[in-house]
Amino acid sequence: MATFFEQLINGLTIGSFYALVALGYSMVYGVMKLINFAHGDLFALGSYLGYTLLIASSSWVTVHFGLWGGMAIAMLFAFVGIGLAGVLMERIAYRPVYPAGRLSLVVSALGMSIFLQNGIMAIWGSRPQAYPAAVVPSTRFSLLGLPVTSLQVVILLLSFTLMLVIWFIVEKTTFGAAIRATALDRSTATLMGIDVRVVIFFIFALGPALGGIAGVMNGLYYRAISFNMGWTYGLKAFTATILGGIGNIPGAMIGGLLLGLMESLFAGYISGAWKDVFVFVILIAVLLWRPTGLLGEKTAEKV
Amino acid sequence: MRKTVSVVLVCMLAAVLFLSGCAKKTGDTGTIQIALQAPITGDYAYEGQMAKQSVEVATELINKAGGVLGRQIAVTVVDDGSNPKDSAIAAQKAVSMKVVAVIGSYGSSVTQPAADIYEKNKMVSVGYGCTAVGLTMDKQRTYFFRTCGRDDAQGLFFAKYAVETMGAKSIAIMHDNSTFAKGVAEEAKKALQPYLDAKKTEIVYYDAITPGEKDFSAAVTKLRDTKPDVWYFTGYYPEAGLLIRQAHDAGLTCPFIGGNAAINDDFVKIAGLDVAKGALMTQEPLVTDVTTTIAGQFRDLYQQKFNALPSSPWPVYAADALYAIVGAIGKANSTDADAIATAMHTNMTGVEGVTGPTLFTAQGDRKDVPYKMYEVAADGKLVIHKP
Repeated sequence: MATFFEQLINGLTIGSFYALVALGYSMVYGVMKLINFAHGDLFALGSYLGYTLLIASSSWVTVHFGLWGGMAIAMLFAFVGIGLAGVLMERIAYRPVYPAGRLSLVVSALGMSIFLQNGIMAIWGSRPQAYPAAVVPSTRFSLLGLPVTSLQVVILLLSFTLMLVIWFIVEKTTFGAAIRATALDRSTATLMGIDVRVVIFFIFALGPALGGIAGVMNGLYYRAISFNMGWTYGLKAFTATILGGIGNIPGAMIGGLLLGLMESLFAGYISGAWKDVFVFVILIAVLLWRPTGLLGEKTAEKV
Repeated sequence: MRKTVSVVLVCMLAAVLFLSGCAKKTGDTGTIQIALQAPITGDYAYEGQMAKQSVEVATELINKAGGVLGRQIAVTVVDDGSNPKDSAIAAQKAVSMKVVAVIGSYGSSVTQPAADIYEKNKMVSVGYGCTAVGLTMDKQRTYFFRTCGRDDAQGLFFAKYAVETMGAKSIAIMHDNSTFAKGVAEEAKKALQPYLDAKKTEIVYYDAITPGEKDFSAAVTKLRDTKPDVWYFTGYYPEAGLLIRQAHDAGLTCPFIGGNAAINDDFVKIAGLDVAKGALMTQEPLVTDVTTTIAGQFRDLYQQKFNALPSSPWPVYAADALYAIVGAIGKANSTDADAIATAMHTNMTGVEGVTGPTLFTAQGDRKDVPYKMYEVAADGKLVIHKP
């Protein structure tokens, strides 16, 4: 039984990474109807930004601000850096092609993904890098009889807090109402006095920035980062988004957590080799039953 | 000035052409010409250079000992640029030079097209770094051999070592669904069968992970609960580093054994030295760890000529290939390709290379390829494991 709970925690940890990345996907899709394929690579870039800051001048940040302080600064750095990168990306790669329609946008997003991935490889090299042990807190303790690390607890708490904050902003504030209105019908939203440009700016800053934080957490937790890691996470997060209902914020969170739990329980109790097969069969089954995902809005609402 | 240079160059070229022309005309008493096809440029240039040096050393040792059939041997290098396209060109070049036999090449995909060309032209070729099973499996090649092991020979070595040397009563095997890793894992499982039948050991875990992912906690938690005595992972180093660390965090304490793609400097970096220390690896022996007489001479001369030793196992197999070819010429008492090939298939008893006897199966694979168990020492370097 203890193992079962351990596997649950394992699943929740993977799931919270998927969920954070999925949030960014879903926010951008909700407003822009664009599948931002470069999102996973922004996540990887965040990981590398955090890594660079933490190892800069022999871990100066960690030495001066302590383990947790260094971590917090690295996350903040990646949050701001990737937020900026997201806004820049929208300016350079997406805004000029809006008039050309959605297909051109998707191609542009794919191009951006290739650009980012190869850019990371050109700057940091193709061999995997590792967050040095000296910058990662490694306290281990037992929580209700389950072995956990302090980092794991912090990651889980932080991810859930971030998800709650985003949920609150989108669902409970006036600005959130503006975002939802833009997502439903952009021209009507404009007529109602909503500045759509501000909404788009916000979406493209916050979505990727969350991915940036997830990137640093991922690097700290697993230590190893590689230039092509964005692809795997991007794909899984995209799956999570579809599972939960694309364009739906709580859906992305639930989709991500569910995907993580399914993966870890299946790999833990049945077969690791068949894990992905199983996960995608479930995805197909869910889509047959609810084509818009678990929490997806009924398409009628969008008309 | 420029004119002088070009005149000198033309003269040199003429001399080279003249000399190589001479070489081709050798009768039964001149030097025996052998070609080395190696990646002198391109991605594996480093390996190619070391192979060239190794073969130079072996040539010198063989000639000093009197050559073969009373004749000296000479080795010409053709560069395959580490890619299949240039490999075909290099092979054509070796064929047109009418050499007696060819050593080469390093990578499996690079060796493939060259082996086809040599086969068509009835020329013996001996690969030295191409370990893919497909090169000889289900193929009827008469003139192709290799001195390096096949990917699956490693699985056999693991099975024997784990049960007989380490006395493992329960074994976990993990791969990553890639052709290479799955091949090694399946061979290991097959090789364990006799031990399973004799109830000497059991396989408590056999499963795969997905390469490219980062979280294997579910897999290692499941693995931990099967309580294995040893754990064999046949995949690559990025996953191996993550796996051993996550297993450590989950409280798994049994020895980790990696395949020959699992452990390198990056593995140690990803896992962290505290966790990587003591990890084991099944690998072809480095020349420093080979105990044959020839290896001693080889090391001394190599050190003297190049002031270093080959840093990977593969260049030494190029030297082995030369020893095998020369040995076969001696046994066949001829430089005819068919005679050499027949000798290599059937009559190699007593022929020794740097790493030991060079006997071949009917398919051209080397028999009893030596493997060693390496261990990550406290400083992160690889040393021979002492059980």
